[in-house]
Amino acid sequence: MNMGKEIWNLLRKDLMLELRMGYALSGIFLYVFSTVFIVFASFIQLPNTVWNILFWVVLLFASVNAIVKSFVQESGNRQLYYYSLVNPVSVLLAKMAYNVGLLFLISLLIWAGLAFVGGNPVRDPELFLLAMFLGSSGFAITFTFISAISAKADHNATLLAIMSFPLVIPILMTLVKLSANALGLMNDTGLQKDIILLCAMDGLLLGAALILFPFLWTD
Amino acid sequence: MVYQTWWKALGVVLLVYTFIAGLLIPLKPGISSVHPSNATAGEEVILEIKGYNTFFTQSGAPLRAWLKMDDTHALGASEIEIVDNQHVKARFYFPAFLPDSGRVRDFTLLLDDPFNGTCVLPSAVFITQDSIDPAMGKAQWVNAPIKGLHANSRLSFPFRNILKESIRNTYFHVPLWFSMIFLFLFSVAYSIKYLRTGAHDHDRRAHALAVGGVLFGIMGLVTGAIWAKNTWGAYWSWDVKQNMTAIALLIYFAYFILRGSFEDPEKRARLAAVYNLFAFVALIPLIYVIPRLTDSLHPGSGGNPAFGSDDLDNTMRMVFYPAIIGWTLLGFWIASVVYRIETLRDRVLESY
Repeated sequence: MNMGKEIWNLLRKDLMLELRMGYALSGIFLYVFSTVFIVFASFIQLPNTVWNILFWVVLLFASVNAIVKSFVQESGNRQLYYYSLVNPVSVLLAKMAYNVGLLFLISLLIWAGLAFVGGNPVRDPELFLLAMFLGSSGFAITFTFISAISAKADHNATLLAIMSFPLVIPILMTLVKLSANALGLMNDTGLQKDIILLCAMDGLLLGAALILFPFLWTD
Repeated sequence: MVYQTWWKALGVVLLVYTFIAGLLIPLKPGISSVHPSNATAGEEVILEIKGYNTFFTQSGAPLRAWLKMDDTHALGASEIEIVDNQHVKARFYFPAFLPDSGRVRDFTLLLDDPFNGTCVLPSAVFITQDSIDPAMGKAQWVNAPIKGLHANSRLSFPFRNILKESIRNTYFHVPLWFSMIFLFLFSVAYSIKYLRTGAHDHDRRAHALAVGGVLFGIMGLVTGAIWAKNTWGAYWSWDVKQNMTAIALLIYFAYFILRGSFEDPEKRARLAAVYNLFAFVALIPLIYVIPRLTDSLHPGSGGNPAFGSDDLDNTMRMVFYPAIIGWTLLGFWIASVVYRIETLRDRVLESY
């Protein structure tokens, strides 16, 4: 079986698991809406600069909650069975691909939620969507890999947060800058550079994750 | 290497040299202040100049002073009175019109004599002209060309107006960063070695080097903050380099917490090595890419991460390079002590 097919099947498996369990996904959505509601209830009026930063902060915390279970929702024995059945790297790639999709969906929801309660300040939707996609990919790659590490330890939710937040800060800072441009808060001529930088950071982390994963899953 | 003494002794010798030479060699003579710093065109003004590390009474030849507007326009002092070693009074006459179309123009003050060499204070005096007529200014200008400047040949560090004595921090703050990077690089190398061989010894080395690196990182941050207080005005200015450094240290703290959360030494070693490598990859944009793309107060913001070639002179290089080697050797010594403690602890635990 080639790797593309493996990844596709694993992706389908993850999606089906998620849909059958139901509560996990709806829990995340509820989390997003309650956070957006709390944000709106406390701010009432959202200045655009705050909107921009809040969007990414809400996404960051929602991502951690969504991804922390990646490697713990199935039992260790079943994981081992997958690793023996398919290429372990496919397992990681499938999880990452699934999480990229999930985070992108969550970010769309946050956008919709914040736009619903606080108005939609986005002036350049294409750029904002691009930022959202690159951000989702960066977060998903980092968090998925770190959750694979933290799944091996107890208290893995705390470990995931403290280990991955410092790692995503550079991505987060570039994203805030990029979306500030999409919101018309600043007008940066070097936008291309930021997009390339984000792609490079995503690629670098993905490459490192792929190289290191074989050392991670073996126990 | 860990058990040999010669490189530790070399490190100590170089550091002792760094401390003695770095703290005792005086700064070049400079100008610390000028009063008054504002004047009106058409006025005659006596500037009270305060020198730093100067010996005006030992000048030997007459002291000369200029106020320089640009490369072609300079005013000479009509009369100079030396009060004592640190104080000089210079009389300048400003023409009624400046050969410049701005209302306010800054002038650079230069003092020169054979003993002290040339002292420079940029933007020393601001001159306001009431009516602007550059052509008239050109016609009236009595130019005093700046020539025959003397160099100060005594052993000294450069005098920089904002840095002043804090220039000596170059031998502490900067080499601490250098050695931190070396320590982290070696730590990553040992993590790779551990993943390839599985020998527990490599993991202990990687950990010990990371401990040394974090220690040096904290010291680099503290020396940098003190330097920033004296030059930028605040310990923490939310400058991109300060932020990135703080994040880099957070990443390594997370590394130690990760190590602490495993009982099984094999599992701990493997996962810590994986995280060490992953974190190092994430550090590359943090330390090498983003600071170069962002404006910063730190020297060399648009390119070189630390400083340009103009910032060091040959006397400083004489101390700076040994300082890098000395601090790096000290860092490796600290790491080797941590490593030996860990090894002994493991040996004691195994014997039970």
